[in-house]
Amino acid sequence: MALAPSDNPLDLIPASKFTLKELTTIYNQTRVDYLVPMPMNIAKMTEYIHVYDVDLENSFVAMHEGQMLGLGMLGVRSGRTWITRLGVLPTSRRHGAGRALATALLEAAERLGIRFTMLEVIKNNVPAHQLFLKFGFYEVGELLILRRPPGPPPVYPFGDAQWFARPEALALLDSRPGLPPWTNQTESLNNSTNIFGLKVTLDDGGHGWLAFQQGRYVLARFVIHTMQGDPATVGRALLAHLHDKYFDLDTQTENIYVNDPHLSAFYEMGYVESFRRIEMYR
Amino acid sequence: MPRVLLIEDIEDNVLLVERVLTANGYEVLHAPDGETGLQMATDERPDLILLDLGLPDLDGQTVASQLRRAPETARIPIVVVTAWPEETARQMVKAYGCNGYISKPIKVATLLEQVASHLR
Repeated sequence: MALAPSDNPLDLIPASKFTLKELTTIYNQTRVDYLVPMPMNIAKMTEYIHVYDVDLENSFVAMHEGQMLGLGMLGVRSGRTWITRLGVLPTSRRHGAGRALATALLEAAERLGIRFTMLEVIKNNVPAHQLFLKFGFYEVGELLILRRPPGPPPVYPFGDAQWFARPEALALLDSRPGLPPWTNQTESLNNSTNIFGLKVTLDDGGHGWLAFQQGRYVLARFVIHTMQGDPATVGRALLAHLHDKYFDLDTQTENIYVNDPHLSAFYEMGYVESFRRIEMYR
Repeated sequence: MPRVLLIEDIEDNVLLVERVLTANGYEVLHAPDGETGLQMATDERPDLILLDLGLPDLDGQTVASQLRRAPETARIPIVVVTAWPEETARQMVKAYGCNGYISKPIKVATLLEQVASHLR
């Protein structure tokens, strides 16, 4: 389905024509008034583009009379695309720039022959949510971003734990069912450094695994899966072992569904909610 | 003169805080990102840290947790600056061992009140 051509006088320039510094600057400027601005430096932007397979040829900067007004990026993977980092300068909103960027990204996806697009929008970002509904996106689920400060777990680790290096950790991901949010897909972890894994087996036969990234200060990029048994108990065992070993690291888990059966284990281990996103498909 | 370290990347907020605090008898040190903030906190040992939660390199929670872990900075009061909803801000302040928070957009009266109360 071809999208209707836009009458908007904005120029939409491929992001590949800009330096990473320029892209980082415009991105930060578009989010300066967000509840959760998540600013980036050039290193973070570079990592983001790599980890999430952002295609700069098919991502766009909205320009008007030589000034950058907004940015929209497109992640591209087999059979699916992902709209991300879409934002417009606070002073330039409500003039169609967001709509023009979203149109350009969806047209780019179509040119690539991909008809399935995913995205997440921060919960309570009503204008963005409304925009995507108008484009035909529908809500798939609600996602949690959780944090946990450093410290030992509140329960002693239980069950037999096996720790895995990167190749084995990445192999664990193949046993997952369904399509996770873009940030937690196998490609995202495959593109990331310092990925490790942990498998726990309980006395009652329950077992499961956790893949994660160990950063300098933060544990992140969690993928947790119970193969057998009660997910809350398996999750508790996995997190108890993890935080016992890495008691000195802060933790961020991103995009866990609100109905994830492991969620009670996270709260029991001292995680607190940062904010929520709505996942949408089209 | 009490010394306040402001860890904040948004220039407008830096200007506001510097003007208000300087005019009220504080010395303001500024770090534009988390790594610089951690280094300056260790080197300068300020009397109080104003910490933005949204920073371009490390985020505010990570900075707070590192400040609390290091013996040199563990006891320095930390007041976080955030646009988050009140309940979320409260939870984060408690979880990360911070001392208070200031909501964005920053109100001058709240800024002065928070800084003064945690310097006592």
